[in-house]
Amino acid sequence: MICEICKKNPATIHIQEIVDNQKKSMHICAECAEKKSAPQLLFDGNFNLAEVLYNITEHMGLPGFELGASSKKNEETETQEQAKATCMKCGWTLSQLRKTGRLGCSQCYKSFRDVLDDAFDTMHRGKLHVGKKPGGKIDESSTVMLEIMNMKKELEELVQREEYEKAAVVRDKINALTKGEKKVTNSKQHKGIRKSGKSKKK
Amino acid sequence: MAKAKRNNIEALVNHSVNWLDDSGPDADIAISSRIRLARNIANMPFPIAASEHDKTQVAAAVENAIEKSGSLGDDFFAYDIEQLSEIDRQILLERRLVSREFIASRGGEVLVVKNDESRGVMINEEDHLRLQVLSPGLQLEVVWKIINELDNQLSSSLPYSFDEQLGFLTSCPTNVGTGLRASVMLHLPALRLSGQINAAIQGISKLGLAVRGIFGEGSDNLGNLFQISNQSTMGETEEQIIFRLSKVIRQVINHEKNARASLMENKRYFLLDHIGRAYGTLRRAYILSSAEALESLSALRTGVDLGMFSSVDLRQVNELFKIIHSAHLQRFAGKELNQEERDIFRAKIVRDMLSGKNDE
Repeated sequence: MICEICKKNPATIHIQEIVDNQKKSMHICAECAEKKSAPQLLFDGNFNLAEVLYNITEHMGLPGFELGASSKKNEETETQEQAKATCMKCGWTLSQLRKTGRLGCSQCYKSFRDVLDDAFDTMHRGKLHVGKKPGGKIDESSTVMLEIMNMKKELEELVQREEYEKAAVVRDKINALTKGEKKVTNSKQHKGIRKSGKSKKK
Repeated sequence: MAKAKRNNIEALVNHSVNWLDDSGPDADIAISSRIRLARNIANMPFPIAASEHDKTQVAAAVENAIEKSGSLGDDFFAYDIEQLSEIDRQILLERRLVSREFIASRGGEVLVVKNDESRGVMINEEDHLRLQVLSPGLQLEVVWKIINELDNQLSSSLPYSFDEQLGFLTSCPTNVGTGLRASVMLHLPALRLSGQINAAIQGISKLGLAVRGIFGEGSDNLGNLFQISNQSTMGETEEQIIFRLSKVIRQVINHEKNARASLMENKRYFLLDHIGRAYGTLRRAYILSSAEALESLSALRTGVDLGMFSSVDLRQVNELFKIIHSAHLQRFAGKELNQEERDIFRAKIVRDMLSGKNDE
């Protein structure tokens, strides 16, 4: 989430209030919070939880999400895209997602994948769940998968910065982990293998 | 199979509250530790897009699962929010059992809670289930153990909405993955008195954690109460999230301890005067607004922590923190009160509760 005031720093302070059954929220960074240290100032104006999501989609530059420009053409594209962006399962629309910041059903995660995918980067520490599963089972291989995903991101950045030597090291690590990962999946029935640890030492 | 007592607020109010106990670890600064888990039932639209019928079905299934699991013990309560009066809804909010969104009620909301209020489930809030466990002091690891077990018990009879890659699917994408929000309520008077609180909040938020006031409302940091919680819910295990949060909170507690020690050493009379005046207000005022009450109680709590009062203890102060809120006051008075009447009645209750105690 990005700060609603400076639109630069990650928003880490969340303010909510309910007026006439309407929920108002504001998400700002610590610096802006300090600037506005008089508390009543923080609650001025109309703030919407969904604005954050809205802003993210606005800045993504995806076709149909470019609301920034004031031309009518853009508005038309927006409406057309919106008509398409509807969850087949529950009928939830992209504009409802923007308005409320909420999804209508589990299937919405697939229906609005493009919008959400970018938002996840700002909200979370990776796009992969590594915690418990229903019933309490924990799959160790998912931790390794997360590590690989993060390293791939790092590799891309290094290549972009043309730091090829460092990139080669990361690539080797990824390869080692990927092999280990396969082994984990193949030999899941044999317990007590700690591939990720082994390959990390390298 | 134990059945819940239904819509009986009196039973709840007459029971003692587990998290108001002063026995928790670091109880002088950390008031309570809370974890909540967001869960949804597979193949059912989330509450925001669900019909009345869907929500009724969800509530029945969840209540049935709770009863079957026995996870809330033999004595627990259920509240249909729509059936409750405005004041009774506020009582639930003031006791931190529900969110504001929940009691604004769009229909179908049910709260199920154990008699000591240490664990419960909000049904049909933003998600079908919001499991919640609350304990006194700083003990997130213990709270996690309890809520993890509760979650496992319920999942044995409820098919959760779960995706291999994204984890537990939630109505708001900020909760997806673990669905876990852990928070600790801290009382940080010395950091504020010494002007360090903004720097501390800034530092905490740079670490990707969120800082909120006690009810997340406008009267935010009144009473110097701050809630620190995790922001992201995906990409880390539950244990990692809790470990990271606990580590930061321990540091904040240390900062507060140092700030208290330094005030006692360098600004002793400033601090004693601040506490003494607040105590005077609480003992002698005839009109007490909730803001003034919260601020004064914060100072009293600081005095108790510093050993200034031999016969007021943390439990009493915590109890006062709870009872001065408007719905509890009106419940206590047995009738509706307007704001002026509330301020007068609040002053009387506080005077009564503190009278006969140590005057020094």
